[in-house]
Amino acid sequence: MKAVQTKELIKKYGRRTALNGVSFSIEENTITGLAGRNGAGKTTLLKILTGLLKESDGKVEVYGNRPFNNLQVSANSIYIDDQMNFPTSLTLKEILEEGRRFYHNWDHTLAMNLFDYFGFHPKGRHNELSKGKESTFNMIIGLASRSALTIFDEPTTGMDAAVRKDFYRALLKDYLAYPRTILLSTHHLEEVEDILEDILLMDKGNLLMHTSMEDMKSYAVAVSGRKEWMPEWMEDKHLLYKEESGPYEQTVILQNNFTSEEKEELKRKGVQLSPVSASDAFVYMTGEANGKGGVDDVFSGRIDSGSD
Amino acid sequence: MILDTNGMKPIYIQIAEWMESEIMNGGLNVDEKVYSQYKLAEMYNINPATAAKGLTKLAEEGILYDKRGIGKFVAEGAKQMIIEKRKNQTLKQLIDDVVTEAGYLQLSEDEVIELIRNSWKGRAE
Repeated sequence: MKAVQTKELIKKYGRRTALNGVSFSIEENTITGLAGRNGAGKTTLLKILTGLLKESDGKVEVYGNRPFNNLQVSANSIYIDDQMNFPTSLTLKEILEEGRRFYHNWDHTLAMNLFDYFGFHPKGRHNELSKGKESTFNMIIGLASRSALTIFDEPTTGMDAAVRKDFYRALLKDYLAYPRTILLSTHHLEEVEDILEDILLMDKGNLLMHTSMEDMKSYAVAVSGRKEWMPEWMEDKHLLYKEESGPYEQTVILQNNFTSEEKEELKRKGVQLSPVSASDAFVYMTGEANGKGGVDDVFSGRIDSGSD
Repeated sequence: MILDTNGMKPIYIQIAEWMESEIMNGGLNVDEKVYSQYKLAEMYNINPATAAKGLTKLAEEGILYDKRGIGKFVAEGAKQMIIEKRKNQTLKQLIDDVVTEAGYLQLSEDEVIELIRNSWKGRAE
């Protein structure tokens, strides 16, 4: 069964289009990452999936139900981000108790054990937590809810590196013990890539790619060497990024679809092939820098807004 | 084993190679049950689908066999299969690289063989 299915999903805020016809489906009980630049439409998509926002057009189904205004979806999904509001009159422990009352799969032992492990005070208040502590607390709710569809939107905001590592480990372990469909948006792809099965890449309201993490990791390759060493057939490869280093040398980032003969030829000519990590490939694919100078253009005067 | 997560070699291949070395050094014997995809996922902090891909690769090569609903086990003759595979693939590739490099340096076949002989002697001592 598909956990999530969308077809030509569109969301508009006034005149601005946040989602521009997004179609994909997610298999049940997988961990999928969602990556995209700021403003790519990640949060809009995730909020539509959990029924927090209403789509403007197109189809969206979560376990066969349209999420908006749907109790079935609400009871079986959870959306965790860094803007969660809880009644200020409740202590942290009371908030967890409420979670237990609402989510039928809730694991209170896990919730309390994580609560203690991360050093929370039962009488603490949510609005008094630091940024990182707040994210940690929200993450506990997300894990303990054991919702069939668990969505984390930038869950690690403010967490220090050690807590992030603990979180990813806890997420994986709990998923292994209680498989469920998990969607995780992140700006730190390199930190989570190993625990992801699939990845959705978004750019400017469009779905750029939906592929396995394994394929994403070998999607691009860096080819570097002297310009005259580069064979002519390289022109036909899909170029993601180009960098000149000195007058003779260049590095190009290409889609990694070389045949073994082609690789052999490059090697013989002394051209170096090196891996491009998934997160770097993603930056090359979505960067303003596509063939241009990136932020360097601002300083070199090539970008001029015309104001004095 | 520590996974090299930034290298060219996919993680599922690294998992498969690790199990092969376990079989080679006697850590896993014929008809012994190997780790499940979930156990491997937990050990190496990776997605279970990645671990499963490594197990499937070894099963397809006949190094592991499947008992439905129970798990995967080390096949009879697994060691020999691994040796054959490494000889025909890994070792052959290394030697091809040596020959290519020797070509750059304009060494003769005899000179290269002499180098290999010396290395062999050094190893025996």
